Amino acid sequence: MRLGAGDTFHGEGILAITKGLLQSGVAYVGGYQGAPVSHLLDVMVQAKPYMDELGVHVEACSNEASAAAMLGASIHYPLRGAVTWKSIVGTNVAADALSNLSSPGVTGGVLIVVGEDYGEGASVIQERTHAYALKSSMCLLDPRPDLGRMVDMVEHGFRLSETSNMPCIMELRIRTCHVRGSFECRDNLAPAVSTRAPIAEPAGFDYMRLAHPPVTFRHEKLKGEERLPAARRYIAEQGLNELMPGTHADLGIVVQGGLYNALVRSLQQLGLADAFGETDIPLLVLNVTYPLVPEQVADFCVGKRAVLVVEEGQPEYIEQEIATLLRRRDIQTPLHGCDMLPPAGELGVEVMAGGLSTFAARYLQQHAQDSAGDWLDGNQKRRAEVAATLDAPLPARPPSFCIGCPERPVFSALKLAQQDSGPVHIAADIGCHAFGTFEPFSMGHSILGYGMSLASRAGVSPMMQRRALSIMGDGGFWHNGLLTGVQSALFNGDDAVLLIFKNGYTSATGTQDIISTPDDEVKERAVDKQQSLVDKNNTIESTLKGLGVQWMRTVHTYHVDTMRATLNEAFTTSFNGLKVIIAEGECQLERQRRIKPWIASLLKKGERVVRVKYGVDEDVCNGDHACIRLSGCPTLTIKDNPDPLKVDPVAVVIDGCVGCGLCGANAHAATLCPSFYRAEVVQNPKWHERLLHSLRGALVRALQPA
Amino acid sequence: MNRTQPITLLVCALGGEGGGVLTEWLVDVARHAGFAAQSTSIPGVAQRTGATTYYLEVFPVPLAELGGRRPVFSLSPVPGALDAIVSSELLETARQIGNGMSTPERTLLISSSSRTLTTAERMQLGDGRTDSGRLLDLVKHFSREHHVFDMGAVARDAGTVVSAVMLGAIAGSGLLPFPREAYEHVVGGGKAPEKLGRMAAASLRGFAQAFDIVHSPREQAAMVSRLLATTEQDAPMADQPLPPAIAQLFPPPVHAMLSLGYARVLDYQDAAYAQRYVDRLQHVLAAERAADPAATRGFALTTEMARWLALWMAFDDIVRVAELKSRGSRAQRVHREVRAADGDIVKVYDHFKPGAPEFAALLPAPLAHRITAWDRRRATPWAMPLKVGSHSVVGMASLRLLASLRWLRRRGSRFTEEQVLIERWLAAVLQGTREDWHLGHQIALCGRLIKGYGSTNERGKNNLLHVADHLAAQPGTSAAARAEAIAAAREAALADDAGKALDAALVRHGAPARPVQAQPIRWMKRRPAATP
Repeated sequence: MRLGAGDTFHGEGILAITKGLLQSGVAYVGGYQGAPVSHLLDVMVQAKPYMDELGVHVEACSNEASAAAMLGASIHYPLRGAVTWKSIVGTNVAADALSNLSSPGVTGGVLIVVGEDYGEGASVIQERTHAYALKSSMCLLDPRPDLGRMVDMVEHGFRLSETSNMPCIMELRIRTCHVRGSFECRDNLAPAVSTRAPIAEPAGFDYMRLAHPPVTFRHEKLKGEERLPAARRYIAEQGLNELMPGTHADLGIVVQGGLYNALVRSLQQLGLADAFGETDIPLLVLNVTYPLVPEQVADFCVGKRAVLVVEEGQPEYIEQEIATLLRRRDIQTPLHGCDMLPPAGELGVEVMAGGLSTFAARYLQQHAQDSAGDWLDGNQKRRAEVAATLDAPLPARPPSFCIGCPERPVFSALKLAQQDSGPVHIAADIGCHAFGTFEPFSMGHSILGYGMSLASRAGVSPMMQRRALSIMGDGGFWHNGLLTGVQSALFNGDDAVLLIFKNGYTSATGTQDIISTPDDEVKERAVDKQQSLVDKNNTIESTLKGLGVQWMRTVHTYHVDTMRATLNEAFTTSFNGLKVIIAEGECQLERQRRIKPWIASLLKKGERVVRVKYGVDEDVCNGDHACIRLSGCPTLTIKDNPDPLKVDPVAVVIDGCVGCGLCGANAHAATLCPSFYRAEVVQNPKWHERLLHSLRGALVRALQPA
Repeated sequence: MNRTQPITLLVCALGGEGGGVLTEWLVDVARHAGFAAQSTSIPGVAQRTGATTYYLEVFPVPLAELGGRRPVFSLSPVPGALDAIVSSELLETARQIGNGMSTPERTLLISSSSRTLTTAERMQLGDGRTDSGRLLDLVKHFSREHHVFDMGAVARDAGTVVSAVMLGAIAGSGLLPFPREAYEHVVGGGKAPEKLGRMAAASLRGFAQAFDIVHSPREQAAMVSRLLATTEQDAPMADQPLPPAIAQLFPPPVHAMLSLGYARVLDYQDAAYAQRYVDRLQHVLAAERAADPAATRGFALTTEMARWLALWMAFDDIVRVAELKSRGSRAQRVHREVRAADGDIVKVYDHFKPGAPEFAALLPAPLAHRITAWDRRRATPWAMPLKVGSHSVVGMASLRLLASLRWLRRRGSRFTEEQVLIERWLAAVLQGTREDWHLGHQIALCGRLIKGYGSTNERGKNNLLHVADHLAAQPGTSAAARAEAIAAAREAALADDAGKALDAALVRHGAPARPVQAQPIRWMKRRPAATP
């Protein structure tokens, strides 16, 4: 981050963007974590000392709405501000503040870095951020995934925002965030107004800066009359969009910047470009996809035999806009897009090449593309062959709970509880616990959004003879669930059951801290670093009490029997208000980060260490695998049956078991077969321990048969 | 126009295997060597042991010779345009082949032979594992060249993670224009060998092993053949040989299984019980001889009965479990499994939860029935959760005491019940065999349904007897048809523990679904809103 002019940055795209922010003299940064942009905020938070040095304020916001609202600072003051989150979901949450920010417009440059979580590897609904740029009149940057270009676009983004008074969104696709490349650095810029050089006096009162009638009507006019034209001028003058000439000047392709590399590779596959991007067909690369510059697009299209618009996702906003502006100018160039390319889904190289070959077949008959045809057909043929070879499709491998995850036992208990109290409607939520929807649990009827589970059963439970269960993580609880769910359920006196996973972090996004995270001092002071420490922070409990929750139980997740009983009680009790079960157990990832170095240091010092591993007696295991259907832990797997008489594989606990205890708890709670054992390996035992053990050992061996 | 293309490499790994580190290494190696390179990944799904991929492109011409021009790299792998795929898990390799990534014309496939079983494969009642042989065929068929070896084993052996092994494999394959030293320099962080940290040293060990395996085809061929050797296994024999007196009663093809079965029943109870096993099996043999005089089927029926009869007769109970858990061999096995060093102390706690039926099993019928009746009257069945420390004197003593109750088992109610059920099944097998060999054989194979303890065991017995009663002797259908129906029902019985598939199969073949087992559900029904 401290790299200056003359240095070369090597690393991931999202870090390059972060560096770009500092080079642009950003004054404040905020956001809410979520793949693929979590890193941006994490790095800034970790680099707090350096940020203070520069006078940059960094805020880990409680959700995207608060991040967007933070941008209000740039309405009055010449502050460059940047926020980040995962889109589309984050943008949905932020929408209200964004509208109210865009209406008065900004003085200081505003850049919203969104991870466009679309296509392969995405974890959310597939929608386009583009719609928000259109409806609120925000510029939308979609830079070519070249680190240098991306960093330039950050700087341009701020200036574009300042010249047009429009907030700018920069959308980065998943692979763009994680692309490894390099760029030539510039010095970081300490902002003129900053935490080190604060503003003396607040701005004077100016009604025009409020998103409040009557000025909102004026704002709307301003968008069309001044801001968009200003933006278009800047985009054209600074050449933010790139024109790439080609030998077939009578054809053209308009492409979103983010898709440029895929397009070039597709053209290569068709023999229409080389490895350096030298293309036969001229390209207009839109590093800014909103607003378009009508003159630029018109000039590109006019006089050509045909133009293809390569645009990802639906609806095809860009193609529609181009069609309109060509029609208005009565330019008759044939326009293609969704008629040749699939309207939905990621535009990978193969898909794109398919569309391009249709385009080429129509307008470049002289260009032989047999090899390309063979390549595309070959792919289809091989896929069919493999499918034919395998009698069944290969089993999927979705992500699942970590080894030793404290959330897994709750789903075991829930499975058992439903055997007692009958199946219940389960309103699921966003977070690691959503893995409970995968095998072996396959639980959850709906997911309506982050922290929305309790709210999403409000219409269900009154219509249901049995009680409905809402599952929520502590991340979702603080992000949204407290207000949309708990407050509403209490206010309406709903008969609801809420289970909150209190693991202490927003784990699914990379274990970021939240207000209920155990303090670092607590972790320092803890004598036994292995124990879960989330019980040391009771913010959730006290908040719920304060709101007036009367029925609240806190259960350690590994007490499967107790959790089962508690769930049964919640499902069947005569208490008709909101019932909250707090499932307590610290995130395993965080615990291991603490435990590993601690154990290592103890062993180094030759001190006593107890290591726990569970195991299965292969000759006692009944090969029914009920234990696996109740756990799904990656280290509880199966192997060939060593008994030549038996045919079905036996369960086995492989290396990597962290001895979390679920196997034992389940064996008791569900009365599984008696094949499980818990082994405690004492390293560097004390002398009296050794003595006792040797004496005991002798006797035990005397009793044992071979 | 310049037609040189980048070298393309797809890396398949599971979350937490260090695929990110691997790509970082590769990009650094390229950079130090002065080549343009780019990697991308989709780590979002990599989290928590899910399947994920990483993608790398390297331009084969040094940057210095490109005259300032920079290649445009693809961010995602292109199906059918890959020079190499490296994968740490065999199923994931096959998955990418299925996606059309690998071509016989172009792609070098380096895959681990090891399997990390998916939940879907692990959770089945029977054996849900995908056939690795099939997957290996795909690897062979859809690659220009392939190297298959157990990356997990190499990593364990070197005390490192699989990413270092994968890097060694890539380096050893000569895919990229970099010398071995270039890789080792990056992995070692440029430090001199004696200055290396433990981790880095381990990484380099793993790197070197994998490099050699892929670099020298001979070792790797041996690896593959060893792999294939382990897949097929020959007929196993029991430790102690079959008494000749018994052996001469049966044809040689049966001996292997018979010796195992005889040994099992003898070890389970006593000589008399073992003799009973032999007698029962002789009836089967006689029936099979009658049904198949020329022995064209090689006594497959008797052999299978030798297996399933022994397993049922040696049914699991607390006495048996105590016996197995208190053996010295078992203590040693546990020590091996937990990888305890010499100085370490190992404490072993066994999880038991015997219920009323388990104890009643050892008591004479009248008393047993009273206890089980009492247990049924309870809201929740009675059970005693125990954590017995089999490393302690008291724990071991109590296990041995329980194990010594073998004599009581014989007088117990369950023993009698099991014998009755065994006879019923046996009768069905004999009856079926007399009618048609296939029918008898299929009923015999249903022994597979009997396994385990408590509810699992009950479920198995109910299923088997229901099948035997309704499908085996179905009036008006040919023996062949019934044999087929039984085979289908047996497979269905292993599909889900609720038995939905089984009932469906039963009905499909004209038999009634199984009677609904009474299961107490305590559920609260919310009253409809009161009308004003």
